Amino acid sequence: MTALSFALPATRRREAPRRILAVTRLHFVNKFQILVLPLIILGTIFVLNLAIWYIIIESTGGPTPQNLAHTHLGYSGAVSYIFVYAMVIAIQAISRTFPFSLGFGVTRRDFYLGSALAFFVLSLGFAVVLTIMSVLEIATGGWGVGGRMFAPVYFTNPFWLLRFVMYLCAFLFLLFIGCAAAAMFVRWRATGLTAFFVIIAVVLVGAIAYFTLDHQWSVVGTWLAASGPLGVTLWTLVPTAVAGVAGFFILRRATPRN
Amino acid sequence: MTTVVEVAGLTKRFGKFTAVDDASFSVKENTIYGLLGRNGAGKTTMMQLLTGQQFATAGSIRVFGESPVENAAVLGKICFIKESQAYPEEFKPKHVFASAPWFFENWDAEFARRLIAEFRVPLGRRMKKLSRGQLSAVGVIVGLASRAPLTFFDEPYLGLDAVARQIFYDRLLEDFAEHPRTVILSTHLIDEVSALLDHVIVINDGRIIIDEEADTLRGSATTITGTKTAVDRFVGQRAVLHRDVPGGLSSVTIEKLDADERRVALAAGLELGPVSLQQLVVRKTSIPETEFGAQS
Repeated sequence: MTALSFALPATRRREAPRRILAVTRLHFVNKFQILVLPLIILGTIFVLNLAIWYIIIESTGGPTPQNLAHTHLGYSGAVSYIFVYAMVIAIQAISRTFPFSLGFGVTRRDFYLGSALAFFVLSLGFAVVLTIMSVLEIATGGWGVGGRMFAPVYFTNPFWLLRFVMYLCAFLFLLFIGCAAAAMFVRWRATGLTAFFVIIAVVLVGAIAYFTLDHQWSVVGTWLAASGPLGVTLWTLVPTAVAGVAGFFILRRATPRN
Repeated sequence: MTTVVEVAGLTKRFGKFTAVDDASFSVKENTIYGLLGRNGAGKTTMMQLLTGQQFATAGSIRVFGESPVENAAVLGKICFIKESQAYPEEFKPKHVFASAPWFFENWDAEFARRLIAEFRVPLGRRMKKLSRGQLSAVGVIVGLASRAPLTFFDEPYLGLDAVARQIFYDRLLEDFAEHPRTVILSTHLIDEVSALLDHVIVINDGRIIIDEEADTLRGSATTITGTKTAVDRFVGQRAVLHRDVPGGLSSVTIEKLDADERRVALAAGLELGPVSLQQLVVRKTSIPETEFGAQS
């Protein structure tokens, strides 16, 4: 056979970061969808919450210290929306952007590494926004009315860094679980995903059975108390990392189908 | 002439179904190939194998001298435009064209801009709201403007109207002349692209049944028409590709004739006609003629 005139670039090692970053940028090219829209929705939820808090406080005698002390505007879980949104972004990034990227001549490896970087950047960004809002929330005494939305846990804890780490870990956990689940879907379709959820359910029921039948729940309680909120948060990095690594190997042998 | 793709004994099975069956061929540099065949013949699977999207069951694939599977150096030179391309959720054409230059080093933004205007692609409309033709146009524009050394078009123009298809053929040929590269095009519209193709590979039931220069192929068969007796006498033991019986006459497609044979045929009062690429492919990929011959 004829010799090939196409010399493959000798600089391919130096090329890798460029290709991985291109995939990361690809995830952010639709800025509105991935950054602007979730923040608009979060902002809207916040403003509506704020309005309701003011209505309650005003109708119960205004924001006097006594009234605020008696009216507990409990945590509504309003921020959970953005966590779900982030997870959906990860699922779509794998299920839709993967087959698209392959057409652009991207390897599965570069796609996955670029996507993982995008998930990290996104987690960081969302965690920063939520942390800043929580700092403001605490500094303003719950926006002047004792409202809680961004600093739900350990409201009085002055260490913003703790909240930041918890938010970051929560986003990373959800994004990489979503990523691994989507990778399973791309590789094995609905059958694989169903099998996976069945296995998870069996493991969970098994664990519940073990702790209940052996009267071991106190062990779990002790562990949670001993680990503390930061400890428990940091432990989520284990399943996050497992999902991240598993997703890589699952996608490595996946083939795009339409 | 250098070889860009080298395939030997390539087989791909999905369970019991064999999509590609012991295929061997090579693709030369700076040539436009037509990968032709019926639906389900294995064209898309073949392209997915060559671009590392599918994993081969057996056989070897060399693209730019290396296996394409997970090979960034090889895949970086490839652009694969699929008819049924999935796009990221909520993507608009502008997002596709904004990100394409990050992946194709030869991307020509000016050329892309011109094509967008010619194909009238609405840049700000969501992909899922585009018509079939507009969707195809986005793919065609990426395939042309990326100027990848090896470009695959898998049924690239579903839904494109005749004008848009002509624009595609014209721009492909123009740009190919200025920036030679290897193009592999799969299509059903064989006659339309006939003039475009340098080389034709026909795949049927996963097997390569024709691998020939387009020019050779075009002259490789002749249709002879005349009275049934005259035609039958002339055809004799020759292999018959196709037989028609239009209004008492007989029309038979047979392999290429040399000059002497043509003289004999004309002397026998037979009419000789050319066979288009499309007719040839249709005849080679439909029910084997021998069965028809036995019945008639």
